[in-house]
Amino acid sequence: MNQISTLERIIRGVLIALVLVFFLFPIFWILLMSFQNNDQILRIPPSLFFEPTLQNYLALLTGRLETTAGNLDIAFMRNLGNSLLLSTCSVLLSLALGVPAAYAFARYKFRLGENIAFTLLSFRFAPPLLVLLPLSLFFKHLHLTDTYIGLIWVYQLICLPLILWIVRGYFEDISPDIEHAYRISGHGWWKTFRKIAIPLARPGIAAAGLLAFIFAWNNFIFALILASASKQPVTVGALAFVTASGIQYGQIAAAIVLSVTPTLLLALYAQRYLVEGLSLGAVKG
Amino acid sequence: MTSLELRNISKGFKSGKVLEDISLSVKAGEIVVVFGPSGTGKTVLLRMIAGVHYPDTGSIAIDGEDVTDASPEARGVGMAFQNFALFPHFSTFENIASPLEARETPPAKLKEQVGAIARMLKIDHVLGHAPRELSNGQKQRTALARALVAQPKVLLLDDPLRNVDAKLRYEMRLELPRLLRTFNAAVIYVTQDYKEAMALGDHIAVLRNGRIEQWAAPGDVYREPISVDVARLFGDPTINLLPCKLEINGTGSVTLLGRRAPVSGAYAYAAGRDLIAGLRPEHVVVTETAAPDAIPFDLDAVMPVNVRSVLYLRGPKGEELLATVGETEAAKFGRGHRKVWVRFAPSDLLLFDAASGQRIAPQVH
Amino acid sequence: MTTATPHAQTATRRPGRHRLTRRALPYLLSLPALLVCIGILIPFFTAVYYSMMRFRLNLPMMKGFIWFDNYISFLSDAAFWNTMSISLLYAFVTVTGELILGLGIALLLVRPTRINNAVSIMLLLPLMTAPALAALMWKLMTNPNFGILSYLVGLLGFTDFRWASDPSTALLTVVLVDVWVYTPFIMILLLAGLRSLPKQPFEAAALDGVPRSFVFFRITLPMLMPYIITASLFRLLDSIQQFDIVYSMTQGGPGDTLMVFQVQSYLEFFQYTNVGRSAALLIVLWAITYALSNLFIKHWLKLRERAHGPA
Repeated sequence: MNQISTLERIIRGVLIALVLVFFLFPIFWILLMSFQNNDQILRIPPSLFFEPTLQNYLALLTGRLETTAGNLDIAFMRNLGNSLLLSTCSVLLSLALGVPAAYAFARYKFRLGENIAFTLLSFRFAPPLLVLLPLSLFFKHLHLTDTYIGLIWVYQLICLPLILWIVRGYFEDISPDIEHAYRISGHGWWKTFRKIAIPLARPGIAAAGLLAFIFAWNNFIFALILASASKQPVTVGALAFVTASGIQYGQIAAAIVLSVTPTLLLALYAQRYLVEGLSLGAVKG
Repeated sequence: MTSLELRNISKGFKSGKVLEDISLSVKAGEIVVVFGPSGTGKTVLLRMIAGVHYPDTGSIAIDGEDVTDASPEARGVGMAFQNFALFPHFSTFENIASPLEARETPPAKLKEQVGAIARMLKIDHVLGHAPRELSNGQKQRTALARALVAQPKVLLLDDPLRNVDAKLRYEMRLELPRLLRTFNAAVIYVTQDYKEAMALGDHIAVLRNGRIEQWAAPGDVYREPISVDVARLFGDPTINLLPCKLEINGTGSVTLLGRRAPVSGAYAYAAGRDLIAGLRPEHVVVTETAAPDAIPFDLDAVMPVNVRSVLYLRGPKGEELLATVGETEAAKFGRGHRKVWVRFAPSDLLLFDAASGQRIAPQVH
Repeated sequence: MTTATPHAQTATRRPGRHRLTRRALPYLLSLPALLVCIGILIPFFTAVYYSMMRFRLNLPMMKGFIWFDNYISFLSDAAFWNTMSISLLYAFVTVTGELILGLGIALLLVRPTRINNAVSIMLLLPLMTAPALAALMWKLMTNPNFGILSYLVGLLGFTDFRWASDPSTALLTVVLVDVWVYTPFIMILLLAGLRSLPKQPFEAAALDGVPRSFVFFRITLPMLMPYIITASLFRLLDSIQQFDIVYSMTQGGPGDTLMVFQVQSYLEFFQYTNVGRSAALLIVLWAITYALSNLFIKHWLKLRERAHGPA
């Protein structure tokens, strides 16, 4: 269709602009709020023009908050650190566990493999609480409640299936003859895996890892149930932050901005792989 | 000294049995061609020798050592794949160097050996390129270089010229035997092209239905095919086949195309059997004028093929016959649509049993 | 000379030790994944077990096996039907809204120009926001004192619009957040689907001068149906189990207007410590999602095959 009337072009442009406004405005507004103090926030009518202040961010970074009611210690930076720790370690572990398994599923057709793949796929769609609630009782017995190790293990439920589906497809796309040729040349299977399979599947592994990181970071319900205040990631921590009394709204906004920025940046960086990853390979990116 | 030896190899997949009781041996410096139409398990056989598949029964020995269960990297064979299977993320140099690198060859020696074989295969000027930048011919030479560089005892070539354009294929068909002789490896070469098989092989193993139907030198396979099917596979245009019956009246004769053709008395044991007579197109003599023993035929068409022509003949009872003649000969016949006379020498006949398809050999006393 | 088979010499045989390690390799590689599987299945079956028990954490002595009583009691329980209806309503409203909006945006952006591609990348951002945090953002925006949305809505004449605190508008508010977060997902999927459709039918229609609405309803839509079905099922599955957004916004309130399945179950477990009932609720939800997911997987595999070639 090469003939597009000017009117249509204008309408299209207006609609796209409206769509952009709807989807980006909240992020934009919260960003603005994070640079405002309470007076500016409560001003009616709200205005786009104001004197920005960094005191919200400073308060979060230093962990000390001065309010009209006195000084308060905020451990929000710890929440940020927890998110970073949990997400990174979970992804690394799931890559270490998932990439070899994905290879096994791609290269060998064996019953156990199909069953594992099916179970993990099936539970991707099952309600998480179904597994989490009994698990929380088990953790109590195993003294794993409120431990990083317990949380990283549980996060595998989110990361591992993702790694398996995405990476398996990439391994399947590599012609087996290339691996055969490498082995016939005189290399063992481990070296073949390291030097041929993994490098050729690297885009898929990277995509899966990034996506797993984003999902792990954004997770809420797992940490809500199994983590205490000191181990909570930002998703839970921000909520607790809000419900605490005397908090300045600008700081809440700043906390949200800090919590959301990492995944947004990663998403922009990895957006090429997102389509394929999100649809679990139903659409080639 | 036998470099490679297969004994009673069988292999089946879920879809069915692919190979049945295959035995063969190849000496160092010998080229054995495994020939057969597609899907007959030639590639599976090669892969079993390489160690990619494992046989259900039977054994494989290289230089006397049993390698049936050995992993591919322990066998010391070189293999060139039909679709090249080059490592896309390695340079051409690194591709070729791979077997030497596996054997921990010191860098200086490695560079020298890779350079030497690249020069031999005329790809030394593309050593720095990535595989996707190479032409098909260069890719195939790289695959060959990779297979050869570590001087393997056994060399496996899986239809290497299949994906290469016709002109290059012809050139390489001349070059390959010379190249392979310098390496003194036991070579198994797989192909579907009978001309390639005859040009390259010291011996040909004709593979049909998972078994070796014939094992012979190229000339013997052509002149003395063991069955009708083998006779059909070798020769272009395909051999002419006509049903006939063998009669013995003192001397033997077969009635073919309405004429009685005398055959040696040594065929006496097959008297009364239904036979199929095979006559190669190049043995069909076509003349413009009648001659004694000649049979009248309709010449339907003349098809020029390179420097020969194929004549499409139709006999009085509708029998179809193909004949090949040289260019100058063909000129006489114009475009066809005329009557001609056909003769043949009875000694050129190949006789096959109609029921089993096996060739009948004259009985030697 | 012609022989049927060539002569082969004898060779010595070595034991097949390598065969075993070869066979075991795939199992060894997938061992960790198997452990995770077991780590999922054990709690799952435990939950099934609990769902058939009378089990309250604060009344351990009353623990007992009661078969399907929990489930039967649901049938006459108003709270259960409230949960069921709210969850279904939430799921259908969000998915319908996201589908229509997502399809519309995909159609707007279907031509692969630089601007359109940049816009679709920007539209990914809400999807990448943690739903719990998205709910918080909207909570701030709908705050009656300083929320920009409250202000704007006030300009339209709706003074004292209480958004999530008001039972009559609470559902609307959380649906709005859900649509904000998840529409981009459907949009991306449908956009990729639209761009992968074969060009010939459209070119032919343009040549024949077929009106655009006809093209859309009779050509585009039917060809896009597999993507629409897959995307809808996927979102339906997630939406009916929504927890993050609802919990962050109102913890199920006001009252029980937003008591969707997982929120209800969570509260049963942690507030009322009623493990048995909580588990039974989850099993009911699981049964629904299991049926839906089987349907989804069938369609998803078909799409996957189309994209990658047969497995």
